[in-house]
Amino acid sequence: MKINSLKSVIILGLIVLFSNQVWSQDLDSLLDKEIKPQTIYAAATFKATRIVNGHSVEQMKKKQLDFRISHRFGDINSGSYNLYGLDNGLIHFSLEYGLTDWLEVGIGRSTYQKTFDGFAKVSILRQTSGAKNMPIHLTYLFSTEYISLNTDTLMKNAYSRMSYIHQILIARKFNESLSLQLTPTVIHRNLVPTELDKNDLFAIGLGGRYKLSKRIALNVEYYYVYRPNEKAISQSIPTPVKYYNPLSIGIDIETGGHVFQIMLTNSQAMREGGFIGKTTETWSNMGIHLGFNISRVFSFTK
Amino acid sequence: MNKLILYFVFSLIVFNVQAQNRFFTKDAKINFNSSTSVEDIVAESNQATTLIDIDKNEIAFSVLTTSFKFRRALMEEHFNENYMESVKFPKAKFNGKIISPIEWKSEKVVLVDVKGVLTMHGVSNEIILKAQIIPGKNKILAITEFKVIPEAFGISIPSAVRDKIAKEVTIKIDAAYTPYQP
Repeated sequence: MKINSLKSVIILGLIVLFSNQVWSQDLDSLLDKEIKPQTIYAAATFKATRIVNGHSVEQMKKKQLDFRISHRFGDINSGSYNLYGLDNGLIHFSLEYGLTDWLEVGIGRSTYQKTFDGFAKVSILRQTSGAKNMPIHLTYLFSTEYISLNTDTLMKNAYSRMSYIHQILIARKFNESLSLQLTPTVIHRNLVPTELDKNDLFAIGLGGRYKLSKRIALNVEYYYVYRPNEKAISQSIPTPVKYYNPLSIGIDIETGGHVFQIMLTNSQAMREGGFIGKTTETWSNMGIHLGFNISRVFSFTK
Repeated sequence: MNKLILYFVFSLIVFNVQAQNRFFTKDAKINFNSSTSVEDIVAESNQATTLIDIDKNEIAFSVLTTSFKFRRALMEEHFNENYMESVKFPKAKFNGKIISPIEWKSEKVVLVDVKGVLTMHGVSNEIILKAQIIPGKNKILAITEFKVIPEAFGISIPSAVRDKIAKEVTIKIDAAYTPYQP
């Protein structure tokens, strides 16, 4: 009997101790228990919708309009007479709008071959952590370009002036500073200058950004373009224009509603058909262009 | 053995009584405004979780900084990326005590002072704020409005945009509590 009562005292003690623990649990830790794990979307994988020339996985959210002006000066190797390229340059401007959070459309115009362009960008997967885990961003880009330059006698009709670009953008924000992107690309040109040039061009882009500070980031972008006929092209007479792979290095500077990108690139064109397909200068002979992109975002939400 | 069961039942009752002295909501509204004549900066979250303990007159708030919605998507991104650093400091918290007298059974509006610690961006500051509370048996309403200075919480604002953001940010909270079921 004595042992029994001793037992019950101990058990009572334990129960009181346990319930005391529940009692003394402060509100703060109770709150923590109530908050369910959230899905966290990796935001700002890149600062802008372009890494340098090519698209990044970023796009305008619903009812946000991006007005972009891009400029590439002439070749640095064009000498002091041309003030190292600063005397001339190409410009591209575009209006890009988020119809929904996952669909962006844009139209643009470039002085390069007097090209009009239009694109649609579809966000398929977004990188998340927390309750749901998704390691990458996945975006599909479809773009079309229309060359309106009328000095090219080969381009007899509208059809021959069109080209189409498909890109899959695969990106991952590894940490607050580092993001990388892989961009498989197919470009179809309805008309190419010579028989040896392929109508379909395959390329893969490699891009990255590294944040130097909260508002400044370093970007590098390279496209490898597969050109199976390169050898035949270089041997043919007369030698057609030789094309190179574009390499660009840029700095992003963010100031409130603007993102200012300043870069060095061997490509003067600012749209995929141009800089992936028709880059004619190379870093090795200083065929480099100084350039910038300016982005200003306007919001149409209430 | 009978005694044991009795103790157990007793402790359960104790636990239950305890539970009824806490009121809870997970969709309290927090709204902040740091507008200037140059720029409208307004954001709202309706996902703040909060508890009131009417025995101890204690109150606790917790909100994920990513749950604040802005009119402009870019502003929201900058808020999380550049100012709150939401990846490093995902939550803003307040833990406080009602320091003026309050009669929880009265069901009349009372104006109280709440003293506590506000933690955001990894920095804690003691603040005293005025709140309006309407007690009730099954529902407690609470509203408050107070001001904070971003720099006091280690949030640095670059000089280029300093004039566009108010020196003091006005925070409004609106919460409707119901009895807490653990």
